Amino acid sequence: MLITRRSFLKYCAAASAALGLDHSALRAVEQAAGGPDGPSVLWLQGSGCSGCSISFLNYISPNDPKDAADVLIRSVSLDYHPTLSAGAGQMVVDQVKKADNFILLVEGGVPTAFGGHACVPWSDGDKEITFEQAVRELASKARQVVCVGTCASYGGINAIGENPAGVKAVGVITGGNTVNVPGCPPHPNWIVSTLVSVLQGKTIPVDDRGRPTSIYGRRIHDECPFEDRGKARSFGVNGRCMEELGCQGPGTGAPCARMKWNNGINWCVQAGSICLGCTEPSFPNPVERRRGRGGGRGRGPRM
Amino acid sequence: MANLLVVDPVTRLEGHLRVEVGVETVGGVQQVVEARLAGTSFRGFERLLEGRAPAEAAHLTQRICGVCSVPHGVVASMALEATGGAQIPTNARILRNFVLAANFLQSHILHFYHLSLLDFAAGPDSPPWTPAWKADLRIGPEDSARLIEHYKQALGIVRQVNEMAAIFAGRQPHSPAFIAGGFTQIPTREAIEQAKVYVKAIAEFVRSLYIPDVDFVANQYPEYGKLGRGTGNFMSFGVFDLGDRTSLFGPGRISDGSTEIQPVDPQAIRETVVRSWFEDSAPNRHPSEGVTQAAYPKEGAYSWLKAPRYDGRPYETGPLARMWIAGRYRTGISVNDRHKARARESLILAEALSGWLAGLEVGGTAYTAYTPPVDGTGAALTEAPRGALGHWLRITGGKIAHYQIITPTCWNASPRDDANQPGPIEQALVGTPVQDREHPVEVLRVVHAFDPCLACAVHALRI
Repeated sequence: MLITRRSFLKYCAAASAALGLDHSALRAVEQAAGGPDGPSVLWLQGSGCSGCSISFLNYISPNDPKDAADVLIRSVSLDYHPTLSAGAGQMVVDQVKKADNFILLVEGGVPTAFGGHACVPWSDGDKEITFEQAVRELASKARQVVCVGTCASYGGINAIGENPAGVKAVGVITGGNTVNVPGCPPHPNWIVSTLVSVLQGKTIPVDDRGRPTSIYGRRIHDECPFEDRGKARSFGVNGRCMEELGCQGPGTGAPCARMKWNNGINWCVQAGSICLGCTEPSFPNPVERRRGRGGGRGRGPRM
Repeated sequence: MANLLVVDPVTRLEGHLRVEVGVETVGGVQQVVEARLAGTSFRGFERLLEGRAPAEAAHLTQRICGVCSVPHGVVASMALEATGGAQIPTNARILRNFVLAANFLQSHILHFYHLSLLDFAAGPDSPPWTPAWKADLRIGPEDSARLIEHYKQALGIVRQVNEMAAIFAGRQPHSPAFIAGGFTQIPTREAIEQAKVYVKAIAEFVRSLYIPDVDFVANQYPEYGKLGRGTGNFMSFGVFDLGDRTSLFGPGRISDGSTEIQPVDPQAIRETVVRSWFEDSAPNRHPSEGVTQAAYPKEGAYSWLKAPRYDGRPYETGPLARMWIAGRYRTGISVNDRHKARARESLILAEALSGWLAGLEVGGTAYTAYTPPVDGTGAALTEAPRGALGHWLRITGGKIAHYQIITPTCWNASPRDDANQPGPIEQALVGTPVQDREHPVEVLRVVHAFDPCLACAVHALRI
């Protein structure tokens, strides 16, 4: 029994009224993205860790949509998400198969080893469907493919070294244009703002790595409040520039220093650590300590 | 299996899982008589760390799992410290406890409300809550609406738990703060005060909503207080070092529902691959010597998970095992007991947070300079939200030469072994009644109660 989003919004209003909540705001957010006849969203997971999904659930904003529940209930019709969908088995496979007006979000890279059998996200009847098949087929039907995270965007951590699962970036498989929202994980605001823009049919300017320039256009080091605070020579000292300990901020496009993480609570360099460069195609770059003049050989940490 | 039911995908968990159950009518009741769990993804994490700098282990292994990255960061740091016998400052011990406990809380709350609840109560009438299996939903519309309202509130609490962890850990998930030698961030007065506000709200949520909701659902489905027993063998590696040679949850193991706690000897752990898509050339190895080579297809194999065994036997690991071994919950072994123990463990942890904050030395270092040896071996055992977690590594010439991990779900969701013993979840499924063969929700209930994390389990163990 599928009910339209509009009828569900009425349900929400009734439910929130029953709970004594102010439902006047519901009408405003109804128009936040997509609208009831807009595209639905399919979210697939391949070779990854679900960290992008967890990061998405950390979403919070003073503007609409306000949090993850708000996104799920009022802003998008999330027709499939392996970690959130209520249904299971053939029921959800059928749901994916019948989708015809949708945005495809892909989390995780695409394993190609063993004829794609390194990742079988579901079976259709007796037939095992590989993730590679699923991505190819759904990407060809999707209005837009959005890569959520560095694995989907560039292969990421699962594709390094000998890459025994043969993991490839989604764009390599589809041969088409993807909007990439890299990060390991990506910040929830990057995921939601990109998704909302896509749902609203906006043209998203991207850089040479397929990333929205509005998000990834400036380097972390250039906005880092610790950039001119003197160089840290060892971990355990907070509030210094971490460049000599291997910080990747100078080569990493992302707004972490400005936006911070988890509702503006903190971010990697503020926590006395280094930027790992997780929004770049080179992630995870081997982190070699750049020994400064004060760094004693064989003493202190080695990265 | 004659009457085979396949659920693929099993949704509302991390990673990729397929469940096959054989269903027959026994004593007039249609029920599961045999079960197979298949991890359907091979990540090949094994060679990622080979040749990398040892200090990268805490960063890279966190990417095994986005839900439980913290325990990987902690235990990877501990394993590196073990290679050179490093000691860490008290502040580091406490900050690791605090952030790890936060990780347990977010995982447990997420598990009940967002991964499990929909097996028992109907969600809203829109995606992703539709379409849904409607079999055997006994909770009425008003109570369901209340529980779904709590589902929404729980999303907010999970977010807040992650914010609380990020105060010290930098961000969640995938914190950069875990480092061999301690923890990168120095606790300030301001940070501690900020964390206290979160602690209060989170403990209140667990006390006033999470535990009552778990008990309410259990009361609506009383037969699940008997179903899903499994092996009755529990193991915990122990976790939350209290600095006085004791842990908040001590290590131990029990056999077949006993209350007699036996010690854990890590040397008794072996991994079998006879039913796994890995080559049989080096079977039954200890993880410190584990060899893993993918082999697909392979005769008789059905999972990308290996089958770890302790002294040749399967063991369940997780909150119920921890709570049982610690003597904090011994009511029973079932689907409902797994949920109840998880919720009660959450309260213990929520209440421990304040004490840890009070034990921090404001402005004191959390890091002791430490470089692992150029050549050496190390291992560390701890607990993740889902149970026992071990990392084993060898460093050669200043680079990682061998790395091996056994995650909790490797134990719980393991396939059959070389003695044809089913894994714990496979055993727990046997005897589960199935009302509607099209919508075997009972199977989901049993599987979900273990909170399997296949993203962790299919990392393929030799890193």
